[in-house]
Amino acid sequence: MQLNPSEISDLIKKKIENFDLSVEAHTEGSVVSVTDGIVRVHGLSEAMQGEMLEFPGNTFGMALNLERDSVGAVILGSYQHISEGDTVKCTGKILEVPVGEALLGRVVDALGNPIDGKGAIETKQTSPIEKIAPGVIARQSVDQPVQIGLKSIDAMIPVGRGQRELIIGDRQTGKTAIAVDAIINQKGTGIKCIYVAIGQKRSSIANVVRKLEEHGAMEHTIVVSASASESAAMQFIAPYTGCSMGEFFRDRGEDALIIYDDLTKQAWAYRQVSLLLRRPPGREAYPGDVFYLHSRLLERASRINAAEVERLTNGKVKGKTGSLTALPIIETQGGDVSAFVPTNVISITDGQIFLETNLFNSGIRPAVNAGLSVSRVGGAAQTKIIKKLGGGTRLDLAQYRELAAFAQFASDLDESTRKQIERGQRVTELMKQNQYSPMSVAQMAVSLFAANEGFLDSVPVNKVLDFEAALQLYMKSEQTELMKRINTAGDFSNEIRDSMKSAVETFVKTHSW
Amino acid sequence: MSELATLARPYAAAVFKKAKETGATDKWSKSLAFLSAVLQDETLIAIVDNPKVSGVRLLVLLLDICEGQIDNEGANFLKLLVKNRRLALLPLIARLFEEFKAEHEGYVDVDVYTAYAFTKEARQDFASKLEKTLNKKVHMKISVDKSLIGGVLVRAGDKVIDGSIRGQLQQLQKALQ
Repeated sequence: MQLNPSEISDLIKKKIENFDLSVEAHTEGSVVSVTDGIVRVHGLSEAMQGEMLEFPGNTFGMALNLERDSVGAVILGSYQHISEGDTVKCTGKILEVPVGEALLGRVVDALGNPIDGKGAIETKQTSPIEKIAPGVIARQSVDQPVQIGLKSIDAMIPVGRGQRELIIGDRQTGKTAIAVDAIINQKGTGIKCIYVAIGQKRSSIANVVRKLEEHGAMEHTIVVSASASESAAMQFIAPYTGCSMGEFFRDRGEDALIIYDDLTKQAWAYRQVSLLLRRPPGREAYPGDVFYLHSRLLERASRINAAEVERLTNGKVKGKTGSLTALPIIETQGGDVSAFVPTNVISITDGQIFLETNLFNSGIRPAVNAGLSVSRVGGAAQTKIIKKLGGGTRLDLAQYRELAAFAQFASDLDESTRKQIERGQRVTELMKQNQYSPMSVAQMAVSLFAANEGFLDSVPVNKVLDFEAALQLYMKSEQTELMKRINTAGDFSNEIRDSMKSAVETFVKTHSW
Repeated sequence: MSELATLARPYAAAVFKKAKETGATDKWSKSLAFLSAVLQDETLIAIVDNPKVSGVRLLVLLLDICEGQIDNEGANFLKLLVKNRRLALLPLIARLFEEFKAEHEGYVDVDVYTAYAFTKEARQDFASKLEKTLNKKVHMKISVDKSLIGGVLVRAGDKVIDGSIRGQLQQLQKALQ
């Protein structure tokens, strides 16, 4: 945009006219030392915990340690220009970030500044990054599903709106892949997504953003990025920033999904900040409040009732509940879930999706371990048809796992055992799914139905995925009406079962794969 | 800095308690001010920091310097500081003592910077207004600072009230950014 000089002076004139001059009263202090992004400030006797402090050069910090004669603070952003003796001012506010619809489709840093080169973000609303989670009275139980779009998860480990489901696994087991698929599958559902990248390589973040753009999922997504090159303070606050942006939608009676990728790195960043602030180290050198670090964050993911939404919007939105679903990610080392941070987050969340390297390497992708993965509240939220059809899957896989080890040694097996093993092999095969190809409820229902009704039993194990692909293609082109009906009703009636049965039978008779 | 204040605080608190008991806060205030001035002298700092100078000789020297300025109790306090090797804390102790005294007597020391010197009436008026805002008696120390361009800037401890043209221009600069 080209501006001529007179326009610029008009703009400035307008700004000066609207400028509210006030006699400024504030508390001041001076910088005593600067070490690795941590400053010690003398004075500031009225500083509050978590208060934003103003440093010279338009730099802000956050007061974290309040001591008798000094304040320990972290600087948000670069700290190279800050030196001993600089004046520090109290602002009387806690850190706030911009929130609102305008952020959708944008990539922002931990302070909400755009970093995608698409210009300023047009939003006037801001929200503090630290807020107390909704109380007991404001909450409603989780009973609506979030479709992740992966058969193995939606059938066995359903996630509901307002739930906190942990994705845990070693490096390179497809944790981010599940999260990205979940975001892609929310296209057109009205669920807004926030992807918070903490301590990741910039190239990985750019990859995720590009994939989301390719699949048209950026329109409903905000990406909050605190990459590995940013200061520990930024990595530490990024999840809270993302959470505030998600709460904006929740508090307006909408649904949102937030992914923290990953909280292990946030705990590392917080450990660094805490150690530099000379807080006493505890287990694994984490500070004493590392549990509270994650519990206060994840507690904010919730479903709130219509009355609370009405109160928060001053009566503008009536009769709608709001939700913020959280999918935190934790990276384990060598499959050790008994380390400090993994156990903490497992105990905070409402279940976990456990990914294993072995499964991943043997080609089972997503590498979900069906035995160790659970969803403590999602069952109530699961779509009825998936609940009916997917109920057997868990059992089939459990029985299969038990027999598979035993069958390796036994030469001849009785008929029922052999059948169970064969069924298990086929179900395991069926649970495989390609990345970036989430399935609708109807598609999943058809696949699960085929397995349940024994249509797969005559298909060789290595042909199961081909069979499924051909079946899906057939259902899509020939049975459009039926698929639409399943997707809208979401219920499993006798009538739907009969039409599905006849459709699959026709397919088996007339098609090859 | 913060650690030094932690060390100095018990000394200051003890001296203040003693001074309050004997009703000699003003006398102590003067002695401490004198002592801290003495200990900020460079030649003396060199002697205090010199490990070859024994505590006894240092004490004799200091008592000689302070002859007539401090009383018996003051001399005892000096002995204690020499014995504990805490002479360097004296300026801080004096400052903390003044803080305790101000708090006890219910006034605040205020530094006022103005662009132009106050007239007598304006000074009185300003002092009474300041007392109302700060809710305490004020001891003003006024200095003229031309760089403010106009208006006043008040410093009361950590608190800063900026009513100067310079401050307003800075605000404007920030708003236009």
